[in-house]
Amino acid sequence: MNLAELKSKMDQAHYIYDDTLATVLAVALELGRPLLIEGAAGVGKTEIAKVMASALDRELVRLQCYEGLDESKALYEWNYQKQLLSIQVNMASRDRESLTQSLFTDAYLLERPLLKSIRSEKPVVLLIDEIDKADEEFEAFLLELLSEMQVTIPEVGTIRAKTIPFVILTSNRARPLSEALRRRCAYLYIQYPDMEKELSILRAKLPHVDDRLCAQVALAVQKLRSNETILKKPSIAETLDWAAALDALGIRELTPDALRSTAGFILKNSEDLAALQEMEEEDHHCACGGNCGEHSHG
Amino acid sequence: MDNPQVYPEKVSAFSRMLRLEGLPVGPKETEDACRILLVMGLESRETVKTALRTVFAKSREEQGIFDRCFDSFFLSEEAMRQQAQAQMEREQEMAQGREQAQRDLNLNGQPMELTDGQREIYAAMSEEMRQKLRDFKDRFQESAARNPDLYNNFIHSVFTKTLLEQQMKMEDAGVNCAGLDPELGIMYRDISQFKDTEIPKAISIIENISQQINGELSAKKKNRGRSGALDFRKTIRKGLETGGSLYRLKYKKKRQKKKHLVILCDVSGSMVQFSEFALRFIQSLNHVAESSKVYLFSEAMVEADAFSLQNMDLFRNFVKESGAYGRGTDLGTALLDLVHDNPPALNDSTTLLILSDTKTIDQAGAVQALQEAKRLAGRVLWLNPLPESRWQYLKGASAFSQICTMISCSTLHDLASACRSLSNL
Repeated sequence: MNLAELKSKMDQAHYIYDDTLATVLAVALELGRPLLIEGAAGVGKTEIAKVMASALDRELVRLQCYEGLDESKALYEWNYQKQLLSIQVNMASRDRESLTQSLFTDAYLLERPLLKSIRSEKPVVLLIDEIDKADEEFEAFLLELLSEMQVTIPEVGTIRAKTIPFVILTSNRARPLSEALRRRCAYLYIQYPDMEKELSILRAKLPHVDDRLCAQVALAVQKLRSNETILKKPSIAETLDWAAALDALGIRELTPDALRSTAGFILKNSEDLAALQEMEEEDHHCACGGNCGEHSHG
Repeated sequence: MDNPQVYPEKVSAFSRMLRLEGLPVGPKETEDACRILLVMGLESRETVKTALRTVFAKSREEQGIFDRCFDSFFLSEEAMRQQAQAQMEREQEMAQGREQAQRDLNLNGQPMELTDGQREIYAAMSEEMRQKLRDFKDRFQESAARNPDLYNNFIHSVFTKTLLEQQMKMEDAGVNCAGLDPELGIMYRDISQFKDTEIPKAISIIENISQQINGELSAKKKNRGRSGALDFRKTIRKGLETGGSLYRLKYKKKRQKKKHLVILCDVSGSMVQFSEFALRFIQSLNHVAESSKVYLFSEAMVEADAFSLQNMDLFRNFVKESGAYGRGTDLGTALLDLVHDNPPALNDSTTLLILSDTKTIDQAGAVQALQEAKRLAGRVLWLNPLPESRWQYLKGASAFSQICTMISCSTLHDLASACRSLSNL
């Protein structure tokens, strides 16, 4: 799929993108490389995988990483209960050898996301979400899958991919990933969208919301993100929730009162709410009435 | 580069350039880059840049290096014109500077023995500073007739010292970091040179990095857990889940030796900012030590309580109220106070961490006190905010670095590396 085709598919999925993102996705697809996406929480990393699944018309297989994730949760697991039952049922059987062999067949194999993605008859989009939360051993285990598109199960042998999945890995940079993993991937760093892109997203996702309100919401979110005292920057999803909430409440203008009463949609801890109040007080004390460009008027 | 045949040659040269700049670029990446250029073509410079960046740069830091290399390797026509113009102007300026330096930097009609680099630094100095140096030279002109050698040596040493200081100032101001990403720029600049407006940004960077380091240490700690001895009780208990078969073996955890950190922090004058950043870093690391005690010193030493280290304002107030701010530095007295502290602050399980620039009065006394502290403490580590290249000019730095491990920490990047090494205590 070339760049123009990919752009057209993403347009059909009503996804707002910039040229950089489209080019990086086209490069990763063309080279058949996994794509490692890094960026702050809430910039839309996971959304890219969903959109690619929709644009490529493929199933999305998701593996959510966490501390302690191991092969049995990510790749495969033997169904012990079923195996034990089978042993007891066939206890009288004399052919022990074939009984043992029968215990390690597909009938007793529980497929987990990684195995499912490479054994699928149709190519899928495999999302390995928040890889930075998994342990280093798991990262090392992924290397075989990402470079050779194969996995090894001791009792069965090496399983090669029937179809090549498009792999997307996301990371919030909670810990640095190994060089070996990075080198096997194409790389993309995403930042929060600028005012123009955020407004386009609001317009595309919430077409029923008043355009003026969308612009005010986008501007307010940009200011909050640029404020150093705000610890947890509002994500794109939170911006959308906030605009939808304002619309549902029948608010057509983002006044200080409206901002105060709905701030919980974008700021999720008390320190940030206190910082917002301070910003408001600063604006209140300013004699310019919010028209000067010297300082921010939240 | 319209002919596709020349792609591999150009891309290979570009790969070599990236490798020289420190990016780990292998043949696979070069091959990928050629493939992608053949598919995407070269119509749009931005598309080519993004495509190659995706292939060659595998982290945000590497993206910064890549962008710089790409812009200097694949010049746009406009950039080529601008660069030629800028180069011409720069050469003219340099020629004027060299002429000026030629006139000024001579003693009794003979040119001073200075390197070309030092002459260029002289040319880059402000007219006011150059005038000061010229005035200084003229003021002692009378003595030149009486003892020309002494005059020449004296003036030469003053000029060399001033030029060296100017060079250090230029390095501290991040002259070489100007083109970097603002965040990365802060990472590689001298901490004591941060402007007030940059401090919140620096603090948020520290928080991010300490979060990263905590993650790494947490993973390491987890991996260290297996001691090799089988835990029978837990293994049998786990085996009950699989009908009594001992399918998953459980191992005993290693007993961790408790570590204690004693931080001796120089808060005299210019050291306050560095000490504060370093303390913030160390305190935000969860796994470095079981407990820590912080002592602040300038001419006298005082123990800081946990409350005063909570944030920047409280820390500065505490330093001012303790009377340590703006005083000279007496490391020897502070170390002796620490050694004789009752109950004892130092023992085999403690690591003494000193944050200081090694500039102290009574250096001989300080060396003795440090040796005594080293005898008592399990380990002594020194974080020095001065770059290692300057240590040779400071007697204190060379003397102290022979007694204990000294790490240069002039930037946040260095500080982060030092904090990582603290975990291996």
